[in-house]
Amino acid sequence: MNNTGRFGCLTGMGAIAALITLFVLVGVAFASGGNMFSAGALNAEKGEPMGGVASHAEITQCKLCHAAPWSAETMPDRCLACHANIAQQMLSVAQLHGAIVQKDPNLACRDCHMDHRGATASLTDMKGSAFPHEALGYSLEGHQRKVNGGAFDCSDCHGEDVTTFAADSCQTCHSQMDLAFAQAHSLSFGTDCLACHDGVDRLGSDFSHNTFAFQLMGEHDEASCTDCHLDARSLADLQSAPQDCASCHLKDDPHAGAYGSECGVCHTSEGWLPAKFDHNLASFKLEGEHAEVACEECHVNNVFKGTPSDCYSCHQGDDEHGGTFGTQCESCHNPSDWEDATFDHSRTNFPLTGEHSEARCEECHTNGAFKGLSTACVNCHADPAYHAGAFGTDCAACHTTSSWSPATFNFPHPEPRAEEGGNGIYHGGASCRDCHPSSFREATCVACHDGNNFEDGEGGDD
Amino acid sequence: MLRGYKELWWAFFVCSLVALGYGFVVYWYQEIPAASELIGHSLGIFGFILMLMTEILYTLRKSSRSARWGRMSSWLQFHIFTGLAGPFMVLLHTSWKFNGLAGATTLLTMIIVLSGFVGRYIYTRVPRTMDGLEIEGTLSQEALKRARQLMSLWHTVHIPIGVALFISAFLHVGAALYYATLLK
Repeated sequence: MNNTGRFGCLTGMGAIAALITLFVLVGVAFASGGNMFSAGALNAEKGEPMGGVASHAEITQCKLCHAAPWSAETMPDRCLACHANIAQQMLSVAQLHGAIVQKDPNLACRDCHMDHRGATASLTDMKGSAFPHEALGYSLEGHQRKVNGGAFDCSDCHGEDVTTFAADSCQTCHSQMDLAFAQAHSLSFGTDCLACHDGVDRLGSDFSHNTFAFQLMGEHDEASCTDCHLDARSLADLQSAPQDCASCHLKDDPHAGAYGSECGVCHTSEGWLPAKFDHNLASFKLEGEHAEVACEECHVNNVFKGTPSDCYSCHQGDDEHGGTFGTQCESCHNPSDWEDATFDHSRTNFPLTGEHSEARCEECHTNGAFKGLSTACVNCHADPAYHAGAFGTDCAACHTTSSWSPATFNFPHPEPRAEEGGNGIYHGGASCRDCHPSSFREATCVACHDGNNFEDGEGGDD
Repeated sequence: MLRGYKELWWAFFVCSLVALGYGFVVYWYQEIPAASELIGHSLGIFGFILMLMTEILYTLRKSSRSARWGRMSSWLQFHIFTGLAGPFMVLLHTSWKFNGLAGATTLLTMIIVLSGFVGRYIYTRVPRTMDGLEIEGTLSQEALKRARQLMSLWHTVHIPIGVALFISAFLHVGAALYYATLLK
């Protein structure tokens, strides 16, 4: 144990070994230009010459790319010193590197591009975590793992060239996942997957239509996408699908447009039936008793279209007038009650005036007969015995409907004549009954003129 | 026998654990952890710290005249344990590429480990107390003399290789810091 001495491994041999190692390594370092620190061979693929070399492998000095830690320059500065075309790209968001820098300004070239991995190793290693794929319009959020659990390679979607994307790239994997769906889906919506999908999976397996304004309820939930989104080939197409009922259901309308295009007023998405129809939106509003009847009482055999809206079509059997008042029930009746009828007699050729308007209908319309009644007075009014048939049947010649009495005698009075002391028509001042106390067939003078003495009669100017 | 190889069993246990974790990482990411990334770099750093402990602690204990912390046999066991676990982690850190200085350092590491195995074989040929002191009289004078000469010869090889290894390792660490770790 004494072999090791006081300074442990710093024995004479140890110190010599240290010096030799240091000498050799420093010598090799100088001789190799730092290559001994290289983590591996540089890429030898030749490209467009820049910075005096056609490939990284031709670079012999480490410091050409590796700025010293204490230098103001960064490694990306060193990259861009040669790769001026990339520096140019980074100025425009429309270009690949511009879009990337826009998304994450802190990204360094080496976060995607690596070297020292061999002469033929790829210079680009865009790991999902480092490469802001979403800056190019497609997020890899939903593409973290392949179906077999393995990590994605750029070439899985891009093939040889990462700057291109073949439209059928998606199909290859997604057909393996679900062939039937993939085929049906591309038939329905086309094969340009990126037109709708941006990789955030919002239209993926956890897609719910109910996050949109048009929620799928009832029967709508059973419909296939293309029932509404026919020929949609882009997100914009999908979003512009019409949301009104008629756009899809016009062809289903058994009402042939009679009820307009707002199906939802009566129907719900739970099914066409039962429907709740607001009849008051139709031209025939349901008022009074009409609101109480079952639909089929008017709409026989469920035929809703062309149902006549005139009363008589339904109420012919109810006509107590036996058709005598015609078919315009509404002229007198309202929907609330048959009994609550109001007949405007003035519309007939016999307007009710005076005392007539006070009479009850059946006083004239006996036996329920309303049609064809004679308007002659005598039809109702018998000539009183007092007239004794002296005036014929034209009551209206002397009477008005206001009252039987007073009446005005409008004919030349036979006796006494004017020259007999009358006033030219009849005895002025005397009432009819003064001379005709019991009948107009008989006249007497003696009620006023005593005996034959016409001089002492009252009321006269004898 | 198991007791005599306790440090080997510990080293085997720890290396197995590390290998298991490494295997899981390879399976999960479907690729070998790169030396410069979290897993690979951590393996390198921890492995190198263990290797430094292998060297420094044992040397300090051996060269200490006054202090006597623990038995020498325990320190040798610890030296062997860290001298196996450390290099194993460093080997995983290489990501199985052995070019340049890093490759040379790995090679030296493997050599020093093999050298350690050889040394342990020679060391155990001389009967010792728990403190590592030789027990006189169990071997013939001739045999003891040969064993001591062999041990001495071995030291003159093992120690310079170790020193060369650490010089090269420090240069590797420095270069890694300069070219990669401190990159802006």
